[in-house]
Amino acid sequence: MTNALQNNVPDGVTDIDTTARYPLFLLVGSGLVWLVLGGVLALINLAQTYTPALLADCAWLTYGRLQAIHETILVYGWFGNGGLAVVLWLLARLGGSPLRGQNYITVGALFWNLAITLSAIGIATGDATSFPLLQMPRYVQAIMLFSFAAIAVPGVLAWSGRRSEVTFVSHWYAVAALFLFPWFFSVAQVMLNFVPMRGTLQAVVATWYAQNVFSLWLAPVAMAAVYYLLPKITGRVIHNYDFAVYGFWTLLFFGCWMGGRHLIGGPVPAWIPTMAIVCAWLVLFHHMIVYFNLREIFRPGGSTVLKFLAIGLGSYLLSAVVDTAFASRALAEVTQFTFFQQAQMQLAFGSVTLIIFGAFYYLVPRLAGAHWPSVSLIRGHFLASVLGFVLLVLALGAAGWTQGLGLNDAEITFVEIASKTKTWLVVATAAQGVLLFGNLLLLLHFLWLVIGQVPVRNLIRQATTVEATVS
Amino acid sequence: MKNGPTFFLGLFSVLAISWAGLILGTQAQLGDLRPLYDENEGRAFPLRSSGIAERGQLVYQDLGCVACHTQQVRRPDFGSDKDRGWGERQSVARDYVHQSRPQLGQMRIGPDLVNYGARAKASGMTEQVLLANLHNGWAGMPAYRFLFTQKKVLGETSPHALVGGAAPGYELVPTARARELVAYLLSLNQPYEFPEARPYAPAADEEKPAQ
Repeated sequence: MTNALQNNVPDGVTDIDTTARYPLFLLVGSGLVWLVLGGVLALINLAQTYTPALLADCAWLTYGRLQAIHETILVYGWFGNGGLAVVLWLLARLGGSPLRGQNYITVGALFWNLAITLSAIGIATGDATSFPLLQMPRYVQAIMLFSFAAIAVPGVLAWSGRRSEVTFVSHWYAVAALFLFPWFFSVAQVMLNFVPMRGTLQAVVATWYAQNVFSLWLAPVAMAAVYYLLPKITGRVIHNYDFAVYGFWTLLFFGCWMGGRHLIGGPVPAWIPTMAIVCAWLVLFHHMIVYFNLREIFRPGGSTVLKFLAIGLGSYLLSAVVDTAFASRALAEVTQFTFFQQAQMQLAFGSVTLIIFGAFYYLVPRLAGAHWPSVSLIRGHFLASVLGFVLLVLALGAAGWTQGLGLNDAEITFVEIASKTKTWLVVATAAQGVLLFGNLLLLLHFLWLVIGQVPVRNLIRQATTVEATVS
Repeated sequence: MKNGPTFFLGLFSVLAISWAGLILGTQAQLGDLRPLYDENEGRAFPLRSSGIAERGQLVYQDLGCVACHTQQVRRPDFGSDKDRGWGERQSVARDYVHQSRPQLGQMRIGPDLVNYGARAKASGMTEQVLLANLHNGWAGMPAYRFLFTQKKVLGETSPHALVGGAAPGYELVPTARARELVAYLLSLNQPYEFPEARPYAPAADEEKPAQ
């Protein structure tokens, strides 16, 4: 990237990139706005854990509601918009022709963001469903489904109209991310909100859904990006490429069974957590193959994009190992129902965030046809992201472990547990603040690039010449 | 992978298999679970909760109480659930058959509440004290002041008004939602035994369940 900065236009910019500028910038921009907004709410929410009086008089922002709001904003606002931008751009590049049907993206993105805004207001006024990662009130879920489908249309067209018959591993992950989400999203909606299952079956559906959000949607987005960008940037082939297909199917096949690890000891059939523990082990095969395919990424001295991808991929692999280890009943006895699970979630979701950041640093200048205006802003964002991410995961993990040991000793009261975890939660809040600062830098940098570097006439879509053809 | 249709069939079946296995499988196992009729008592357990408690569950759900409180007791040798007095036996699926949206929860910043009603009764906690706690906050739980209103005293005072906390001539009255929430909390109880979940002492048991 530093080499490329000497030219005016980044390397390898084609029509495929620049023609998709308007709708994809909408996705990238709204994703970053949600990321910053979600970060602010997450910061307040963490501070509430040790300052119960904070905003307690405001009915809209009780701890429980605020948690549901920031979770929804980050998952659907940030990962939804940002992930879709990456996936659509990848599919256009891999398909070899400019994105068609771009107006679907624009309309879809507007409604998607409207739905997330409505979700936040709905949860704040008491309409949360209380299912993790599916807190949106039922009346916005249909909007989300249809707007996601609209945004996905150009992706479908790029897939079906691809230049070459042969598909690349990045293709599979991108298409999986695009297609599986509407399926399991609509299934979960029906089984939880419209024709709810009875009793604790709802918990089984809810954990299945929440696991799918990661294993079938966000993880494939991240994998699609890394599998495309690494060979593209380094110019080297992927090692042991033939195995990639097994890695792909292992993730999808076993990943969606892993949700039951949150139900260990719960009022559900015991085979559900057992199955989840077994599948958590089996899914490590996917991570092993990903490591062997992409180990080139961990070579020192890459560009900023590669550094983001390397740290993101490293945490992705680490998160799988941690999830598997702490799915075992012996360790879950300590970490279940504690902040440790939030640390695990931050590690998994944070790894995807870092990979999307890496992809943004590569694709945004190509969409814009101009370079990032400031290298120091990129460095600042990188440092803040890495520092904040590591600190947040460690602090939440430590808080969770302390909390879990305390919970298992019946002599220790909740007030004592709270005083023991407080230090770590304060550290976690500071880490969240650092992350927020970094994300704010990225948002400002993006706006600077879009508003300052791209000529205004290029931001408004030019009417294409109407070709007079007989067809 | 050159074959598009096969690829999509693969994607579809991956999801369908996990859905069928996990959700239909559980449905087949638990779908026809019924309350257990107890001949000695002449009633079926679990009991249905009262209307006010049902409404209270909606308040519990909409305030997001589930973010800090679980409603599931694990078996006595797993964690300290029993030692903390949260329940004599493990919660089982049958306990939740009447609940429209069980609030199992995934986080214990505060105590488990599945038997809260029984505990409150044993410790002599009354509705009024619980309302006062809800207003003031206690033991790390935030105060929920917005569930209360100050009313001008006109004639007789309200029987539910809290003592103190209001300007002279005014009284502090819990809203309907506060009283529903408290009724719900006091109704939380799993006192009955089921064949699949009896209280047991792990030390006395020869056969421990597999860890």
